[in-house]
Parts: sequence; C-alpha cells; structure tokens
Amino acid sequence: MSHSLHRYGKQEDLHNDYTFYARTSRWVNREGAGPKLRKILEIILSEKPVNFGSSHAGKSFKAGLDPDEYAGTLDKAYGVASCFSDRESIKRVLTKLKAADTGISIVTGGLIDEIVEIARQVGLKPHTAFLSLGIHGKRALLPDDQVLEVTTMCGHGMVASNLTEAVVKQIEAGKMTPEEGAHLLAQPCPCGIFNTDRCEEILKRD
Amino acid sequence: MKIDPDKCIACLECLEYCPMNCILEGEESTRIDQDECVECGVCLKSGVCPEDAFFLPEEATQYPRVIRREFSDPSVQYPTLKQGGRGTEEMKTNDVTGRYRRGEYGMALEFGRPGTGTRISEIEKVLKVLLSMDVEVEKNNPVFLLLEDEKSGTMKPEVLNEKVLSAILEFKIKEGQLEDVVNTLKPVLAEVDTVVSWGLATRFAEDGTLPVRSRLSEIGLPARPNAKINMGMGRPIIEE
Repeated sequence: MSHSLHRYGKQEDLHNDYTFYARTSRWVNREGAGPKLRKILEIILSEKPVNFGSSHAGKSFKAGLDPDEYAGTLDKAYGVASCFSDRESIKRVLTKLKAADTGISIVTGGLIDEIVEIARQVGLKPHTAFLSLGIHGKRALLPDDQVLEVTTMCGHGMVASNLTEAVVKQIEAGKMTPEEGAHLLAQPCPCGIFNTDRCEEILKRD
Repeated sequence: MKIDPDKCIACLECLEYCPMNCILEGEESTRIDQDECVECGVCLKSGVCPEDAFFLPEEATQYPRVIRREFSDPSVQYPTLKQGGRGTEEMKTNDVTGRYRRGEYGMALEFGRPGTGTRISEIEKVLKVLLSMDVEVEKNNPVFLLLEDEKSGTMKPEVLNEKVLSAILEFKIKEGQLEDVVNTLKPVLAEVDTVVSWGLATRFAEDGTLPVRSRLSEIGLPARPNAKINMGMGRPIIEE
C-alpha cells in the first residue's frame, strides 16, 4: 500500500522528513533478494536513520527492533522501510546505493522538488512519482491539523488520534516531554516510517 | 478484538490506543464495540493492558468478519493473494514492472484513510461509478475478492457492513481522460460516509519534470508538495 504517501502538513513543516523504501517485486526480483536487502539495510544503518522496520518484522526500531534480528528476517521480506531527518543523510544513502547497484527498486518520499534535486545531485533519473491529491469525502470526521500531522506518519493508521491528543495534553500538563511523547506515539507503527524527530517538533508547537 | 471481563480491572489505560475509538468504558470492565472494531490489533499489540485482557476471538478469524483483520492489520496476509498490505506494489516497483507507462496515470482511492475507517458499502458506491467509466480497474487488489459481480461492482451482500481501517481502489486512466475522471469522481467522493485519500501515479517526463502537476492545478485538484518517488534504481529497468 501507499503507506508513506499522504503525510499531512504544510510545505514549510515537511522539510527534513524523508521516507525510504526498498521494495522487491513479486513478479521480478523477490526470489533470493535477502542478501541484497541486507546490503541495503547495512547502508541505511551506516547513515543513522531515525527509524526503520516493517510490518513483516512486527515492530520498528523505535519499538525495540534489533538491527541484527531484522536482518535475519529479510529473506522472507518484501523490502526495507526507514525514515531520515536530514537531507545529507538520505543523499548519502542514495549515493551508496547507486554504487552498490543492487537492482532493487528504491522509493524516497519527501517534498517533490527536494527529492528531484537530490536525485540530480546523486546522478539518478527519477522514474515514477506517486502524488497525493488530498483528503476527500467527509472531512468533518477528521481530527485537527496537528493531530493529523502526527497520525499520518503511520500510513497504516495504527497511531490513534485519541492517543495523540492524550500525549499533547500530557505535554501541556508538564507530565511528559515532547521526546517521550514522540517515542510513545511511534510504538504502534511497525513499518519504521514514523519520524520521531518530526513528531517531536510537531509536539513542541504551541 | 475482545476484552476478557474477568481479567479487565477497568484501569482505562487502553482507551486512547484504539484507532477507531471503540473501546468503551463500563461499570466493572471495559468492552469493545464489535460493530466499530476493525480488528487492527493495536490494542492487543500495544501491551498497554496490565492484565493481558485483550484477545482475538475465534469469530474474528471467520468469514466474513475476517475481512476486517485482513484489511486493517498490516501483519496479516490475504490467503488467496499471498500478499500483505491493503493494495498492490503500485508504483514502488514500477521501474521493473512497467505497470504505469508514459501516456497513462495510475490512481488510488484509499477509503477510510486517514484514521476514520470505512464500511465496504462506501467502496461499492464508488466502484460502481468507476466500472461504468472507460478505466482499467486493478483486479489484483484485495477489494476484488469481495465482489459478487465484477461487471457492475456489486459486492457480496455479507461484506457490505464490514468495517475496515482502510481499503484501496486502484485503476489506470489514459492521460487524456484526467479532466473527465476527476470531474466525475469529485462529486461522488463528496457523498461517501468516510474520508478518501486520493493518489496519482505518473511517469516522469524525459526532461525530469512532472507535467501533470500543472494540469491538476488547472482543474482544481492540486497535488500536495510532498510525494513518494521511485528513483529508477531497479534492474532491469523499463524505460518506456
């Protein structure tokens, strides 16, 4: 699914939020892809991702997923998911992947113009884009924007609006720090694309 | 999911964890509104319950209720499709599958996202409209397992009231159909009793631009500034 698409927020608040997904194709290159996925994971880990994981592993790094344990699951995985908070890290990941030439499809999420510029600097030719055309239908059902910014960082919808609102109240009451709140909110999202750095910034806002 | 009333101590610590807000406070124990629960498993997996009172009841694994779990819990695979997730590989592997070629757009309507969930009946309303149009609906998608009639889009009656965290309709259109498709779908989506996140997949032009962005703005459906991008690193690459 398009779990890293539809991250909500204003353009100025979406800098420094990069999702990364290495994905094998069931039809083309999944068979025997485990060693290539482990190489990709090694490259990701070398650039200090904010988070990583996958639904097949059942939990993310922020929920206690051990990198070695994760590497051991990759023979039966679709791919590797991760997220980063700074442009230079994702750029170095892509540079290293280009050199590694694994042949596995790589998808990067973020501000379109930034990703295209990074690709140009690394010497990559972006192939396909998945654009978000917004939320339609009964928008009255939605929580407020701050909550949406947090919950949409888990594309599978595992992070509850009510939990986010409860964390905001705890922070306002001085019973929890934004860092603690971001860590708590990352727990239900197994894919490792919940960016706790960005979440912390959102929770710090008045 | 259910809560064992003999174990629950009504501490209420779990209430906020439910994405559907359907854990209800009772006098001596909490309970889960079975009509609203989508069987996502967040409550169980969170470990928040000090008494391990959450459990997956047998009926949640039986058809038709099992649909809830298959569409809502990302760790569950569809037995027939042998894939997880709520959709397909869509554009993530487009550089090696060539699913979306130049001259066409892929579209994805994700019902219930973000965070509201959806009844299958809401998907049926839009699928019927889609199938009456000249578009190519993706059949290798779990939603298609729920159909009684592939031509009309009528769903099996027993699944219509099932509620899932989200489900995706995927289809392809020719570039020239964009305005017509958008103008047809917008009023239909405005009437559904849930939210729908709309996505569009497109190839980059040879010069590295995305001409569809200006077209979308012109027809009143501008793309958001953030997206996900297939970086063209899969091999063997399909260029056309």
